[in-house]
Amino acid sequence: MRTLATGVLSLVVVGCYAGLGAGDRGGDDDGAGGEEEAEESAGGDTGVISCEDGRAHPNRAPLRRMTRFEYNNTVRDLLGDNTSPANAFPSEEIGNGFGNDADAQAVSSLLAEQYATVAEGIAARATETPAALTALHACTSGVDDSSEAECLRAWLGEFLPRAYRRPITTQDVDELVALHQAVREAAPFPSGVAAVIEAVLQSPHFLYRVERGITDENGNRRPSGHEMASRLSYFFWGTMPDDALLAAAQSGELETDEGVRTHAERLLDHERSREVVRFFFDNLLPIASLSKLERDAEMYPTFSPQIGGHLREETQQFLLHEIYDDEGSGTWEGALTAPYTFVNEALAAYYGITGVTGESFQKVDIDTTQRLGLLTQAGMVAGTVHSNATNPVVRGAFVVQKVMCNKIPLPTGDLLDEVKPPDPYSGATARERFSQHSEDPVCAACHQMMDPVGFALENFDPVGLWRDQENGVEIDASGSLPGLGGFNGPVELARAVAAAPDTHECFAVNWSQFALGRTLDAGDECTQDRLVDDFVASGTNVRELLIAITQSDAFLYLPSEE
Amino acid sequence: MPRFRLGRRAILRGAGSIAIALPWLEIMGEGRSARAAEAGKRFVTVYTPGGTVSNNGDGENRWRPSGSETDWTLSPILSPLAAVKDKLLVLHGLAMRSAVGEQHQAGIIAWLTGTNQDGAGGYSQGPSVDQVIANRISQDKAIKSLQMAIRWGTGKSHGLLSPINSVNFEDNANFDPIPPRLDPQAIFTALFGTLDPATADDVKAKIERKKSILDHVDRQYADLSAKLGAADRMKLEQHLEKVRELEKSLDDQVVATPVCQLPELVDTSDYDPFTGLDSDDNGSVVNVTTDEAIPKVGKFFMDMLVMALACDITGVASLQWTDTEAKHTFPWLGLDQHHHYYQHDGGFRPVQLEQIYTWYSEQHAYLLEQMDAVDMGGHTLLDESVVFFGSELAQPPTHDKSTMPFLLAGGGAGMRAGRYLDLTGLPDRSHNNLLVALLNLFGDERTTFGDEDYCTGPLSGLT
Repeated sequence: MRTLATGVLSLVVVGCYAGLGAGDRGGDDDGAGGEEEAEESAGGDTGVISCEDGRAHPNRAPLRRMTRFEYNNTVRDLLGDNTSPANAFPSEEIGNGFGNDADAQAVSSLLAEQYATVAEGIAARATETPAALTALHACTSGVDDSSEAECLRAWLGEFLPRAYRRPITTQDVDELVALHQAVREAAPFPSGVAAVIEAVLQSPHFLYRVERGITDENGNRRPSGHEMASRLSYFFWGTMPDDALLAAAQSGELETDEGVRTHAERLLDHERSREVVRFFFDNLLPIASLSKLERDAEMYPTFSPQIGGHLREETQQFLLHEIYDDEGSGTWEGALTAPYTFVNEALAAYYGITGVTGESFQKVDIDTTQRLGLLTQAGMVAGTVHSNATNPVVRGAFVVQKVMCNKIPLPTGDLLDEVKPPDPYSGATARERFSQHSEDPVCAACHQMMDPVGFALENFDPVGLWRDQENGVEIDASGSLPGLGGFNGPVELARAVAAAPDTHECFAVNWSQFALGRTLDAGDECTQDRLVDDFVASGTNVRELLIAITQSDAFLYLPSEE
Repeated sequence: MPRFRLGRRAILRGAGSIAIALPWLEIMGEGRSARAAEAGKRFVTVYTPGGTVSNNGDGENRWRPSGSETDWTLSPILSPLAAVKDKLLVLHGLAMRSAVGEQHQAGIIAWLTGTNQDGAGGYSQGPSVDQVIANRISQDKAIKSLQMAIRWGTGKSHGLLSPINSVNFEDNANFDPIPPRLDPQAIFTALFGTLDPATADDVKAKIERKKSILDHVDRQYADLSAKLGAADRMKLEQHLEKVRELEKSLDDQVVATPVCQLPELVDTSDYDPFTGLDSDDNGSVVNVTTDEAIPKVGKFFMDMLVMALACDITGVASLQWTDTEAKHTFPWLGLDQHHHYYQHDGGFRPVQLEQIYTWYSEQHAYLLEQMDAVDMGGHTLLDESVVFFGSELAQPPTHDKSTMPFLLAGGGAGMRAGRYLDLTGLPDRSHNNLLVALLNLFGDERTTFGDEDYCTGPLSGLT
């Protein structure tokens, strides 16, 4: 079923056709069909859905495969392997932007090969010393021919349910014992154990989140306790369930909405959830590789890749504070309008803030005539610049497309021939360089949707520092956007974006897509409407949103069987 | 109906566990041609970024040859290819009309697929021609197709497989982008491990062990997929197909022959194949040490590519010289800005660009000469191959794609080389027609490929 974001998100459409967004890749059929077909099948359900008909409306739940992030965390918790071995896997497909879109995940020949190669390394590390073997199971010390079979089964009895994240069957164990025997013929006991680990790490029961489901008393299909344990654990911690979740799965606790909520709150309150929140923002925001940002040292002498790294940390620490700490607003709107940020000594000097010493980050007030909230942080505006000159299109497109979820289509047809990049040395200011976008009505139809946002950020140079002039010409940072109204400069822009309903909806949708591992489509209307309404009603509280996602039909239920 | 393709071996081994709803012949591909015996044996694609200099600012085309079809002279940029001139078929004037989408991304996507980009941030809407050919001519090889890339993922990747980077797309229901192999040492071991006396015994022992493990893994996918709904089942079956490819490559280890020899192992410890993979919108990750190693590493890649064909490890290979971002530097040419900077990020710089494109011609000449040095018994490896050299656009300052700098080489399937074809006068210059003609060379007799809006039938004149 091909899916469309169109029609789900509120879209600005003023003479600029709202096209397909990223992640509209088909999942299980068609493929050859064009957009017409895609539109026909959008939604999956025929007819009008009534969200209040007393039935669950979970929409689709395609089979999910572990991402590199999740694989690294899982082998760390399963086998104590801290080497981040999954970094050797090929990059994930773009999909929903978080690399975990089940409809976009493909298995290439290279990935299958790397699953084998990486598993070989992990298994070797887990069995190469007596100490490592003992860590697997105490019975391995002093194991001999007579105790070998028993020891293998004892270890598998403990290891396998954790690796497969479910109760195991005798067949599960017997097959691996047979594999051990086959390898053992030509190699010592630990080598056979390593082979078993390699097989387990390539198994679909390990790599995929298989959900067979159970039927509850209302006749709705929902994930089993163990399947729900994995849903919760991978959402909040990006890894396999802990013992408390497995116990809750066993006791039936996770088969109720309340039980799910209780554990969701426990996981979110735990320090480990911050890793996932960081991962989410690293993927949503243009900050992940600021530490590798290169800028001309003569033009921007105070910037360095080290500063870039600090800028990323500034944004992350700021967001974690806003979301988790009592003094933080707890809300997305608050994060977008906060009159403070986090800096260490080096970054304070970079910004021209005095009185900060040491390497650790601390909260400081900012000059709110120049900056306000997340979007005006130096890393955010440096991370959307390609080169040594600012590009208002890229900056604008980031805010409009990733913060507000408004899709801007790419030029097509005859228009393509007219499109060419402006000479970076023409005109004194970015507004002059990109003047064709507003003067030519064909260009303006779409560029009026994003360029003004970029112009309002022109007071920030390519390394995110404040400037009043570019090439000796006073910067005009005024503009307006349909849906946002008029603004002059970054602070007014920040307020307008923070207050826009599209911004709130977009944030809720992004978190939902990340949590569900897919791109929302028209079949998610009930889940989405409710989440967005509740998010807005909460004053855009981020933690409440994350808990609310676990209480949505899409999270609590599975679609009826085919 | 899902177009889920099955490997021949997958059918032989696992027909019982995989639902087959299509008639046998249909599943094996479009009617096999009677000419199959004489069809092309090997297909190679070589991607270089940023088009060429077809207008140096003074209106001078530095890429297009001069003269007539059979009496012609190489252009300045193509001049390094003089030694293999009689094995070239230069195609001037085709337009890449199907490249609709983001300028660079749509170009690299359309080059081998002939389809539009699937929305902003999307991939192709069809398979790439190399994958279709691989399913015809390379199913029984140890590796069905080999994708390799040098200094790849230089910008905007966000740690994901960006459409900026992808040139090959699976011939399956989703046309999944295929990530190329990047690590030269890992490629060497995977392809030639058993040929290397230093590692042969170790590799052989490991292979037996791996086979036992994969046999178990294979059964797990087969068993579980049978229990799942259609969509999830297809996903696991796709995974299973790749596991079986891996099993097959272990079964068919390469054996040395007079033409199949271990390539020289090159020390690439100064080269980080993964640098830049997590680069962001802010541009490139500069790694000068790695950039300096590109010529050496590129030659190593080409040596391995030639032997992968000569040893019959695969019949279809793809080599990418970086991606469309092209954000690495060229210290050995005295160029310390990246390629995209000279294309247009820093304004159009035809002099530096000509240096870069001429260097790429030198590299391509090396590849073709090496292929032409392998005697396959009365003819060379190049003679039984078709090598397609191309880019995602024609003119870097404008992203223009109306006169693409396409270069074919070889002699496979009766392709007549040693010619320069000026195709600017054709009523339909869409490059989709070339893709059809390439398929025809390999015995696939379809008359249209990619988006039909841009395809009117096979380009004539290749044979």
